[in-house]
Amino acid sequence: MSERERVQRDRLTDSDGVAVESALVGEELELRYPTSTEPVVECARLDVPEGAVTALVGPNGSGKSTLLKALSDQLDPASGTVTLDGRAIESYDRTELAKRLGALSQERESPGSITVEDLAYHGRYPHRGVFERVDQADHEAVDRALELARVEHLRDAELAQLSGGQRQLAWIAMVLAQETDILLLDEPTTFLDLHNQFTVLETISGLNEREGTTVAVVLHDIEQAVRFADYLVALRDGTLYDWGPPGEVVTEQLLADVFGVEADVSHDPELRITPRRALADDRP
Amino acid sequence: MGESPRADATTTTGRGRSLVTGRLVSLCLVSAVVTVAAGLVQVAFGSYPTTFGEALHILLDPAMLLNPEVWRAFLLDAELPRMSRRYLVVWNLRVPRVVVAVLAGATLSVSGAVFQAVTRNELASPFVLGVSSGAGFAVLLTLVVFTGLAPFLPLFAALGGTVAFLLVYAIAWKGGTSPVRLVLAGVVVSMIFHSLQQGLFYLAEDIGAVRSAIAWTSGSLAGADWGDVRIALIPSVLSVGLALLGARQLNLLLLGERTAKSLGMRVEAVRFGMASVAILAASAAIAVAGIVSFVGLVVPHIVRTILGSDYRRLLIGCVFVGPALMVSADAVARLALRPIQVPVGVVTGLIGGPYFLYLMRRQDAMGEL
Repeated sequence: MSERERVQRDRLTDSDGVAVESALVGEELELRYPTSTEPVVECARLDVPEGAVTALVGPNGSGKSTLLKALSDQLDPASGTVTLDGRAIESYDRTELAKRLGALSQERESPGSITVEDLAYHGRYPHRGVFERVDQADHEAVDRALELARVEHLRDAELAQLSGGQRQLAWIAMVLAQETDILLLDEPTTFLDLHNQFTVLETISGLNEREGTTVAVVLHDIEQAVRFADYLVALRDGTLYDWGPPGEVVTEQLLADVFGVEADVSHDPELRITPRRALADDRP
Repeated sequence: MGESPRADATTTTGRGRSLVTGRLVSLCLVSAVVTVAAGLVQVAFGSYPTTFGEALHILLDPAMLLNPEVWRAFLLDAELPRMSRRYLVVWNLRVPRVVVAVLAGATLSVSGAVFQAVTRNELASPFVLGVSSGAGFAVLLTLVVFTGLAPFLPLFAALGGTVAFLLVYAIAWKGGTSPVRLVLAGVVVSMIFHSLQQGLFYLAEDIGAVRSAIAWTSGSLAGADWGDVRIALIPSVLSVGLALLGARQLNLLLLGERTAKSLGMRVEAVRFGMASVAILAASAAIAVAGIVSFVGLVVPHIVRTILGSDYRRLLIGCVFVGPALMVSADAVARLALRPIQVPVGVVTGLIGGPYFLYLMRRQDAMGEL
């Protein structure tokens, strides 16, 4: 199987060929954890276009979450820079950053007795002074977040009483209450049943459509990514395999190279992926 | 979603919910009643015989309660007006002991609760984290070697506690800290300071000093007077107040470092600030009551079981339950084996030890320790 020649794009363009502004840009990134000797991710340039939904896809261990951590300033790059609106992300004050950029990581822990509503109020943290009381704006933001995440009826329920999916939605409500114009979500649909997966994805694309929220989301399911995202970033073994609008990026070659799956890709006119079989593991 | 659970009836519904829940009020009331009852027992009984009614009468005597001169003497160290022997016994010997117990109970509990949030470990307390032994060593050093500096005890205790905690933090630091490493480092530092304490005994000149020092290291309220109240009052009020103001930060810390950070919290700064508050609280107690073990561990845990983990409620609960436990334990320590008094720390240790064991057995998460 020959290595496909990767498409090199200096500037992302939309369907009309107009250049797209990026909210977040990662340049010459090299990411590693303190415990690892090898870099986990190396990537020359990564764009998260403003006002669009970008999905990071790739197999387990391809560096999607690591990349997202770097974009949300949770992980300092070993080299390279992440810029938010053209300014280095580490130069932002923590509160200032938290007002612009909401991040939901996979590793979440909470005391079981916290209620959904109390969790959502924590999302207001960057908007409140140290000794400030909650005000009307906070109440409204929380109400709206609970409604968007469709957990309003669970407002007073304690997290420990909820199913895994409901708990996930409660966390999403928290990050929505933060009212940021950029959202970085690490596998928000994993472990959810189909109904709640779609709840989350519809919430995200709804926010994006109505308020122009910039979203970068790690998704496991390539078909969902194709359906809900404006741009795909495909990662393999810690490197960027390809990125761009799903129609351009998703090919049979990509599915074989990145996911190790033989599949048919058809455009009729919507992009459709029909997986056939898993390929042998000795792919290049 | 048919499986949606019912909301807990004790949390009020809707917006503008108040923090004050029925449970919180009941817990505080019950604790207050226990504190007052145990306090009355302490005031009424002892080697100087008074009857219960008599003690109550003396306590509620408006001539005392409303006399500014008396309070000036108690709180500001002015000269005590003349009073009868019975009044002196009640007001100058027994009441301050109860007041000190209240302060120590409240501060130790609050300190433990704050440490548990800062280290995100329900088994943490000033005792476990080495703060008690560090503060203890500093106090002992003051009592045995620098005897002239006794009025500044809480300051030295806080200094010792801070040094111990910094050591613990430094040992546990590895580009960040983890609850497990903090506790392990705490054990190590505790052992070192404990040895230093033991060593100090040999430097003491007279047996009397050693005896009181030993009583002190096991946590004793014997001989607590208004001077001790004056020493502990301000740091206690200050630290408890600051802890209550920081409750929201502590709540956010419970959501994990990553979440707190992404919500814009400067996590290490907040941890450090709140740890300082906890050290100050523990030091206030240790300076006047010695090392009373397990209060800082047991009380937050009991309160958490009853009220949940919201620190805005938890800390208020601790302020009430801590004194109830402390005053009751001290009543047992003083009166159970009359005429012999045992240090109150022995009693709390006997209650707290098995409780700690129960906690460990129950907690699955102990596996990661």
